Amino acid sequence: MLKIDSLSFQYGRRSALKEITASSSAGKVVALVGRNGSGKSTLLRAIAGLAHPSVGSVSWRGQRLARLAPSRRALEVAYVSQRPILSIDLTVHEMIALGRFAARTRLDSILRIDQAIGLMGLDALKERSFHELSAGEQQRCVIARALAQHETNGLLALDEPFSNLDPGETMRVFAALQKSAQAGALVVVAMHDLSLVDRVAENVWWLEQGQMVAAGAPIDVLTPAKLQEIFHCEFVRGAQGLTLAARV
Amino acid sequence: MSKRQVSGVVILALLLVVGVIARLLIGRDPSLGGVLFNWPDENILVLRFGAVRSAIVGGACLGLSGLLLQALLRNPLASPFILGLSAGAGLGAMIAAWSASVVGAGSVAWIAFIAHGADGVIPGTVGSLAVLVLVYALGHRGGRLDPLTLVLAGTVVATICGALTLLVQSLMPPSSRGDSWMWFMGQVPELPSRGAIWTAIALLFCSFLASFQSGSALDVASTGDDEAESLGVSLRSLRILLFVCAGALASASVALCGPIAFVGFVAPHLCRLLIGSRHRALVPASVIAGAAILVWADAVRQSIDVGAGRLPIGVLTALIGGPVFLMVMRSRRMRAGEWSC
Repeated sequence: MLKIDSLSFQYGRRSALKEITASSSAGKVVALVGRNGSGKSTLLRAIAGLAHPSVGSVSWRGQRLARLAPSRRALEVAYVSQRPILSIDLTVHEMIALGRFAARTRLDSILRIDQAIGLMGLDALKERSFHELSAGEQQRCVIARALAQHETNGLLALDEPFSNLDPGETMRVFAALQKSAQAGALVVVAMHDLSLVDRVAENVWWLEQGQMVAAGAPIDVLTPAKLQEIFHCEFVRGAQGLTLAARV
Repeated sequence: MSKRQVSGVVILALLLVVGVIARLLIGRDPSLGGVLFNWPDENILVLRFGAVRSAIVGGACLGLSGLLLQALLRNPLASPFILGLSAGAGLGAMIAAWSASVVGAGSVAWIAFIAHGADGVIPGTVGSLAVLVLVYALGHRGGRLDPLTLVLAGTVVATICGALTLLVQSLMPPSSRGDSWMWFMGQVPELPSRGAIWTAIALLFCSFLASFQSGSALDVASTGDDEAESLGVSLRSLRILLFVCAGALASASVALCGPIAFVGFVAPHLCRLLIGSRHRALVPASVIAGAAILVWADAVRQSIDVGAGRLPIGVLTALIGGPVFLMVMRSRRMRAGEWSC
């Protein structure tokens, strides 16, 4: 169970998150949506225990993640940032194997790494240098690292993991995330593709200017009228779910 | 370690051994004005052994210090000389020596300890770490650590430290100044002080153990602050431990050989070419490579006479390392921003 209780966060004098309260049980995909600069990344970092809140708390299975030592926290939560960084030259396989750094037993690491490589469709690339990959391939590589890292019933926090992926790879990654959720993990993912959110997320948390303005099932939260008001573009809900109208 | 890593370390070790033999055999005869290549008599051999020992220890300290700085700052341009750590160590040691000459270190035990602690290594370490903290703070641009801003900050702080060192030195009585001009250009002493060399060996040993033990964590730390923390590395602890090691190693090399340019920069890059990027292998390789580079540089300079004696070693390493630095700075990966953090 993830519980966010009156969470506020400040960058200097600027308030990035204000009094956020939310919760979710494990086994779900929660989509974090909102305009650019609405606080999605900050909330995701706080959920992953990487940003220490000014006020309030985030707890996962009763533990405050920000208070755990990194080696202990890595067993509970895996995090993927918006922009993958790697300042040394590693192969795809070596990069994904970093996900097992904190693992207490190394016995199943090889299996977990191979599984993650297979799930992300990286078998043919695993001996290639990470730096030689396209942006989308690098993105899949860091998601594979998070899949190799997280425990079956852990927490996965991903910041815009689909930003560089083509539609086929987007569906492949989402299928892998849903599989993790079905196995007992909680997947919290910040994203902008509201049509995709509508089709695959079980819960939506909507942030505006650091505040959570709506939370619930996509059909209740992502209404065309509300989307028109916020994004100034027309959405329609039909048999195919939520789609962006051709006319903007 | 993989086959490539083992063979890379073996090549570097062979390079060091051949360099040591060359340095022991190469000498100059001022009366003949030429280079000698022979097995010297016992008195000369003692001096050459002393120089070899200084070069191995000083070079190894610089190699490991450079590797740690490049890894922790995620900056391929980092080295103790370029970031000003060497200049900070020199300034720290000079201020301590000046304080002692003014107050009279012999009469006050704690001043004597600060001024001469391990032949200048203690005040030098304080100076190098102070510079590291300052350059680290100045190296940020737009809230991120920018590789080129960091280098620029290091260059400016090193210049200021160099000027302050000269100022402090000019305040000292002439009898206390010693042969400082040669020290500023870097030297490989044939008769190193016992305090400086044993302190450097002790620091090198402790830093090597800490760095080798942290090899996997350094690999993870190359992924960015948030991701490294989320993968289980306590970056704060890692940085404090290994920055102290890098600063102490820079200070130890300065106390022993003076500020020597680019060895700490070139050694890790040479190792990456040979054995790849994994830090478990890079740590021992950089120690050996740093030692080999300084031993070879000392051997080569024996055969270069610029009319006023042998070429200072710092001049030679700068002439070789400077172009390599420019090549790395203009490399495809630097331009692509892969090193930005």
